[in-house]
Amino acid sequence: MKLSYNWLGDYVAHGLDAAGLADRLTMAGLEVDDVEQRGEALDGVVVGHVLAIQPHPNADRLTLCRVDLGAGEPVPIVCGAPNVAAGQKVAVATVGTTLSLPGRESPDERVAITIKKAKIRGEESQGMICAEDELGLSADHAGILVLDADAVVGQPFAAYLGGKGVALVDYVLDVSITPNRPDAISHIGMARDVAAVGRMPLRRPAVALPIAGGAVLDRISVVIEAPEACPRYVAMVVEGIAVRESPAWLKQRLTAIGLRPRNHVVDVTNYVMYECGQPLHAFDYDQVAGRKIVVRQSQGGESVVTLDSKERKLPENTLLICDADRPVAIAGIMGGENSEVTASTTTVFIESAYFEPSAIRRTARQLGLQTDASYRFERGVDATGQPWAAARAAALISEIGGGTIVPGMVDAHPNAPPERTILMRPARAVRVLGVAIDPAIMVVLLEALGFVVAMGRELQGEPALACTVPGYRPDVEREIDLIEEVARLYGYDKIPLPSHVPVAALAPAVAPETRAMQRAQGYLTGLGFREIYTNSMLSRETAERFNLPVLTAAGHPGAVVETLKPISQEMAALRPSLLPGMLAVMAHNQNHGHDVLRFLEFGHVFSTTAAAGVLVPGYGEHTSLLMAASGPAERVNWTNKERLADFYDLKGIVEGLISRLGLAEVAYIPVYVPTAITLYHLEMWVGGRLAGVLACASNDVRSLYDLKEAVFFAEMNWDVLAAAVPDAAGVNYRPISRFPSVDRDLAVLMDASVQIGAAMADIRVVAGGMLRRLTVFDEYRGDQVPAGKKSVAFGLRFSADRTLQDEEVDRMLARILERLQNEHGAELRR
Amino acid sequence: MVEQLDQLRRDIEATALDTSEAIDTFRIQYLGRKSGRITDLFQGLKDVPPAEKPAMGHRINAIKVLAEERLEAALQQLKAAAAPSTANLDITLPGRQVPLGSDHPLTQTLWEIQRIFAHFGFDIALGPEIEDDWHNFTALNFPPDHPARDMQDTFFLREGRRDGDAVVLRTHTSPVQIRVMERQKPPIRVIVPGRVYRNESITYKSYCLFHQVEGLYVDEGVTLADLKQILNLFARAIFGNDVVTRLRPSFFPFTEPSAELDIWWRNPALPGGGRWMEILGSGMVDPNVLESVGIDSERYTGYAFGMGVERIAMLRYNIQDIRVFYENDIRFLEQF
Repeated sequence: MKLSYNWLGDYVAHGLDAAGLADRLTMAGLEVDDVEQRGEALDGVVVGHVLAIQPHPNADRLTLCRVDLGAGEPVPIVCGAPNVAAGQKVAVATVGTTLSLPGRESPDERVAITIKKAKIRGEESQGMICAEDELGLSADHAGILVLDADAVVGQPFAAYLGGKGVALVDYVLDVSITPNRPDAISHIGMARDVAAVGRMPLRRPAVALPIAGGAVLDRISVVIEAPEACPRYVAMVVEGIAVRESPAWLKQRLTAIGLRPRNHVVDVTNYVMYECGQPLHAFDYDQVAGRKIVVRQSQGGESVVTLDSKERKLPENTLLICDADRPVAIAGIMGGENSEVTASTTTVFIESAYFEPSAIRRTARQLGLQTDASYRFERGVDATGQPWAAARAAALISEIGGGTIVPGMVDAHPNAPPERTILMRPARAVRVLGVAIDPAIMVVLLEALGFVVAMGRELQGEPALACTVPGYRPDVEREIDLIEEVARLYGYDKIPLPSHVPVAALAPAVAPETRAMQRAQGYLTGLGFREIYTNSMLSRETAERFNLPVLTAAGHPGAVVETLKPISQEMAALRPSLLPGMLAVMAHNQNHGHDVLRFLEFGHVFSTTAAAGVLVPGYGEHTSLLMAASGPAERVNWTNKERLADFYDLKGIVEGLISRLGLAEVAYIPVYVPTAITLYHLEMWVGGRLAGVLACASNDVRSLYDLKEAVFFAEMNWDVLAAAVPDAAGVNYRPISRFPSVDRDLAVLMDASVQIGAAMADIRVVAGGMLRRLTVFDEYRGDQVPAGKKSVAFGLRFSADRTLQDEEVDRMLARILERLQNEHGAELRR
Repeated sequence: MVEQLDQLRRDIEATALDTSEAIDTFRIQYLGRKSGRITDLFQGLKDVPPAEKPAMGHRINAIKVLAEERLEAALQQLKAAAAPSTANLDITLPGRQVPLGSDHPLTQTLWEIQRIFAHFGFDIALGPEIEDDWHNFTALNFPPDHPARDMQDTFFLREGRRDGDAVVLRTHTSPVQIRVMERQKPPIRVIVPGRVYRNESITYKSYCLFHQVEGLYVDEGVTLADLKQILNLFARAIFGNDVVTRLRPSFFPFTEPSAELDIWWRNPALPGGGRWMEILGSGMVDPNVLESVGIDSERYTGYAFGMGVERIAMLRYNIQDIRVFYENDIRFLEQF
């Protein structure tokens, strides 16, 4: 809400400047986002008296004036305005005054100009007679501003305006009001906090409150058919008025807070709403058919044309204000055009009601119509404040526009809200806040907010204050709400910082998945992978394309999870895999001149699932780890040619990752059948569970993202991997062998179709614990071997807890060879 | 004998020792233990008259030293000659580059936040990004018609048939508070990092998702003053010891009293030399929240806080546009 500094000053003599006020409001929980100065101080501008004028000898449009400034000799001033005349009282910027004048190109851009003694077309000029725009009062530049005839010559112009209730300078504070503070959506509401913090009185304007009933009952009758949605309806009537333009002070205040002045009746209802928080509506009494108001819910098919000239089709159960024949307003939201106050209105009927917040919220949402009134009703206005607001508005309307207030008021009040009293234990407040506030101070603070506080009660065996809640604080329902009020007004800044930080006696839990994640990330970034963060949401089409078992089988394979009513189709589904996001990142960077494309991402992936044991039934979710490489594995340099990354680069990195994580028993199963997104891949099994995939991306996928080089990726279910990572206590040190190891090579010829991985697995089985290292250092097909065959050379390192004898190693090699012969048709290559 | 010695000296001095073979031959020829010529001379001493023996011994020994010195010098020379030549070496050529990896700035910021809170005894808890309405809203004391429950603001995956039944993309990490309190009794002291979602259009200052770190401490005797201190220490740890903070009242459905922490962000270009920047929301856990998970709110109190990792990272690294975090341009990533 926009708050006027000058306006607030009507209710509390806070003695703060604008910045100080902003700070006090913010520290009381009413956060000020912005402070804007309006107007200029106009030091040096005084009231002058034009004694005589004569035409400028050298310029047709200029006039020479002799102006009395109240002190010293009258001064000559050259003036260009057509309306200047002898005898006028005018605003004169004296020599040395700095004004910010409207710019030549754009009047919004202001340029600082200091008035100097000057010769204008050869004639002496000692000052400037000002127009309204030059004083920052309006955009009017038609002529100079002519002041009242009784203006005191020599008086500062600011004092002259002050006498008319107009301030030259104001500050507008933009205040964020949290949803728990409906009481603060008004100047008085904010003044109450300012006064309470400063321990000073709040000054509410004195208003003669009418007694319910009286002559007004002859003018209008009110029937509430929907008492749940409208627990109270107050009405007053002012008759014999002349609708006119509002006085300067009122227009200035409304303009300051961003409202456009219309006529004095509408302006007063807005003014009172911003003053006390109670929305009001003024009807043209003569347009209210049957002199009767009915508050009821709409039936199907009704519509009303609102003040903004739009026809609104009303949903069923919209709360309506109707006259004898038809709806005249949508309750709490906007009035109807048919009963609008116009220039010809002579009698107004002021509505001041309490509408149920949920009813107004629902309708405002259904109609997509948010107004100043609905904003306040939705949050809950003061359930007791209707008569004051109606009387205040009636008084101002008649004060400004003449007319008389019809005595009495209608107060239809079928459901009086019960008075609420809440107990608060000062000791409990101290326990929650951690600062020993004197209970007497708590009483002072709560009373300043309008709570009626009585002592001598008990709660849970402790002394308690009985606090009766004022009508404007519907948010206060519990003890903790009162404790918050105490804390807020006492000041968070006064809560001392404890010298110690208490730490509960808990053994620190190990977070293995987090630690393993950091280890994996350190390993991968060391190998040139850059970590990325991609959007979890993507288009449904993309999500479907990548929702394939080859990627998702390690998680909860199921349908793509879709979002309801996303703001964009690009966010209609949740990613089933990290791959599409990473491919887009690869394409982006390739298109910006990068060739080494190595990325990694940890992130959640999603699918629907029927599986039991998920946290939210129906939805599967796990952390995925994706790494991908494309482009050079080694860049060209002065010794090497460029070498493009291939599948074995990625596989080596994955194998290294597995070792780095301390995982045992990882099996890789080759699949040569292409899928829509892979050319070939390895399934990765950890502890009997499918944990992920290592793959070469299909050409289709590559061309979809316009990637120039082959893309290799590995995507793993991190939850499966992390679960298999031994924690620190699970590592069992094996003493380092003091005995020498023995290295042997074994070269065999095999059918070209034999899978080396299977052969290696067999070697490991046969060799058992003696085998410490197994490498493949050659794989050859070609002229040197028979067609359909390949030569494979294994490097083996053996060791044991004793010195191995050559004969023992020879026997082992023979057994390995025998196994390779039997299982894989291998023969020893000589 | 003397002549023999002189001849020997001349021979030793004249022998060329420029190859390792020549050196070996020399060593065997003169100093060999079995038949070296000097060794032979020492053995010949026994035939020398006793009176001449000492003088003769000295002279032979001098020749032996000479031979050893020549041998040593030749070995050194040979070793030096064997060392690779630097004549064609240019060690100012660039090294072979290895590809450089990097940790995303959000991860680096998150790790820093985690490190700070680990010092104060906070464990890490995690939770799902797809969350039910109960954990995301109801248990956190959001009223049924709270605006956050509107599709305008929140991504819904399934609408609810009854209260708490709908499924959403979590809008904050606070539902993990509930999950932790459901499975653990006080004392509880955790932080919860994670990704959260808001149905917002993407601009330089908002994205459809971001990352939060939630903190929760529930125990006997936890106070707002404790909260103020932990947040103050956090701000000093991450923004420097001279950071100026203020804790001001605010509102969240799941905390009461609630507070936001601002830091004073110096900027000489602004009037006043800077401005207050909000960095996190916090408060005392609302008694309704404790009761919703069966914790006695009379006996236990707690505080909770939540911050945006992006916001902290943007302040730390002076980043103006939140979208750069998700664009993953290498020219961005390589700066961290």
